[in-house]
Amino acid sequence: MSSKLEWNRRRFIKSAAVLGAAPLIPGGSMAQQQPAAAQSVPQGEVTKKPLGRTGVQVSAMGLGGYHLGSAETDQAANEIVAKAFDHGVRFFDNAWEYHDGLSEERLGKALKGRREQSFVMTKVCTHGRDKKIAMRMLEESLRRLQTDHLDLWQIHEVVYDNDPDLIFVPDGAADALLDAKKQGKVRFIGFTGHKDPEIHLKMLSHDFPFDTVQMPLNCCDATFRSFETQVMPEANRRGMAVLGMKSLGGSGELVCHGAVTPEDGLRYAMSLPVATTISGVDTMQVLDQNLRVAVNFQPFSAEKMQALREQCRLLASDGRLELFKMTTKYDGKVGREQHHFPTTQELPI
Amino acid sequence: MPQTASSTIPMRSFGRHSDVKISALGFGGHHLGEAPDAKTAVEIVHEAVDGGITFFDNCWEYRRGKTEVWMGAGLKGLRDKVFLMTKTCPHGRDGSLALLMLEESLRRLQTDHLDLWQVHGMAFDNDADLFIRPHGAAEALEKAKKDGKVRFVGFTGHQNPKVHLAMLKTGFPFDSVQMPLNAFDATFRSFEQQVLPELTKRGIAALGMKPLNGHGDAIKKGAITAEEALRYAMSLPVATTITGMDSLDVLHQNLQIAQNFTPMTAAEMSALRERCKPDAADGRYELYKLSLKFDNPESRLAHGFPLDTQQSEVKDMLGAPENTGHPFPEKEF
Repeated sequence: MSSKLEWNRRRFIKSAAVLGAAPLIPGGSMAQQQPAAAQSVPQGEVTKKPLGRTGVQVSAMGLGGYHLGSAETDQAANEIVAKAFDHGVRFFDNAWEYHDGLSEERLGKALKGRREQSFVMTKVCTHGRDKKIAMRMLEESLRRLQTDHLDLWQIHEVVYDNDPDLIFVPDGAADALLDAKKQGKVRFIGFTGHKDPEIHLKMLSHDFPFDTVQMPLNCCDATFRSFETQVMPEANRRGMAVLGMKSLGGSGELVCHGAVTPEDGLRYAMSLPVATTISGVDTMQVLDQNLRVAVNFQPFSAEKMQALREQCRLLASDGRLELFKMTTKYDGKVGREQHHFPTTQELPI
Repeated sequence: MPQTASSTIPMRSFGRHSDVKISALGFGGHHLGEAPDAKTAVEIVHEAVDGGITFFDNCWEYRRGKTEVWMGAGLKGLRDKVFLMTKTCPHGRDGSLALLMLEESLRRLQTDHLDLWQVHGMAFDNDADLFIRPHGAAEALEKAKKDGKVRFVGFTGHQNPKVHLAMLKTGFPFDSVQMPLNAFDATFRSFEQQVLPELTKRGIAALGMKPLNGHGDAIKKGAITAEEALRYAMSLPVATTITGMDSLDVLHQNLQIAQNFTPMTAAEMSALRERCKPDAADGRYELYKLSLKFDNPESRLAHGFPLDTQQSEVKDMLGAPENTGHPFPEKEF
């Protein structure tokens, strides 16, 4: 054990040295630094991949919706979407509850004239409430996104142990997905969550025709309460498209604590058998960093993947870098209210 | 250990050590630090002993040592009448650190030995690995027992039944295991379902805690009464049920329930579990299983988790006058 610790310490120092070259994470202070001029985005487009059994192709990198609301101005958000689109990003993520609607509004504006070529997803936030509320949220999302249909509509943040039970009651959120699909308002349906592989598996055990499943996938997750080993293979077996998220820990924790460089972390997540990897971007620097990996994407070899898992294993082993699995920090306000959990002020972590 | 004349609380065997008896209600150390002053704390301890409580719980890291100091003062002259437990807090760090903490606990508690010494707060998925590793806390427990400084050893934790099972799987010869046991736990990430039967099988003394869900939220919101909650926990196959008492009122309430204790029938227990089930299902009354907020700051530091600066113990820890830079501040309370 102690020799492993020694080994990890050497690794840590090595990674930390690599990280001297200004890693960029959304919201991070280092995101303000200018990347070296040589590090421009290469020619070409973000690679495309099949979306499960749907017959549709999506870009292997998706633009995360939450961080669009964190961008400094509407104009900044516009420019991020435009540049991402120009380099072939076609998958756009969002959620009804992000920044009280601001994220959807910004994406709606930014996709004007680009809607037809884009794959637009947003999420419904019933958190246990019924179909009527879900359908009302759908109408609101469509209005904010300035569109008459969604390519993908997912149930957001399935993170509480009883969420699957609440979602599958008659006239619950699952029924809303089916109705919306029947009415032609959404093409595909799925669910998301960041907490516990067992909750995802409970969702899958209902044999509901989900087209997609979204989950955290990164090189710490690979060895800790792992969606990669427990959920991803099961979703793939069922022909569902896997959508990865939190490739760097949600707020860049994997990078800040020296587990991995941003490039390796992102490339690891994108090399898994997933349809797309959704990454939040709130500055141009972060976008460029992502595009350098995603344009003309080259997956890692199996050996390199295993080496990265080993590199992160010790830091992964108590969940310190995957706080979304460990704490309530990443659990949204609406879900907390519906589950009678204290607010972030009362229960900050 | 002689029973006091006034004792009317049921006494139970300490696991496989059937010659050792402890009171079915245990005195939780953490809340003692919430008493207004040392004098009140000493009064509470005296009345608890008079009321028939023999099992006393404490911990090296509670209130930066205050609860051990106050309990030591309260038990002066009564040490032989009680079964004294405290906990050590290496949280994955070396056994040598655990032993330093033991010396400090003994000094604060004014005694030369403990009846029970437990490793505190098993919470994280790698805690069992860190406990059993070479130079880990397991070696400290063995040494303290061999040196006669502690009679029995165990571990505690409130987060995750799987972590408890991983600890048992190490094969270490524990005498006791402490865990949350209440009518909400019964159906949610359940220690009662997953851990308790395993302890019974191995003859390990089960020590229940959080019979009122830690801070009594479910009682304040009317989901259960204090009497139902405490009776449920005490009716489980446990050696004792530890609950915190920060005032004479709370002590008297608990003593009354414990002194008149009759176990619930199986049917009563089942009915109560069913009644609590909908509220138990998302953990809203058992946030200690879901949020790092209820982990000890020492444990979070050792594991590299961020501190919660709103937590009272973190405020204690960061308080300027106490922050001497010395790892084990010796101070007057």
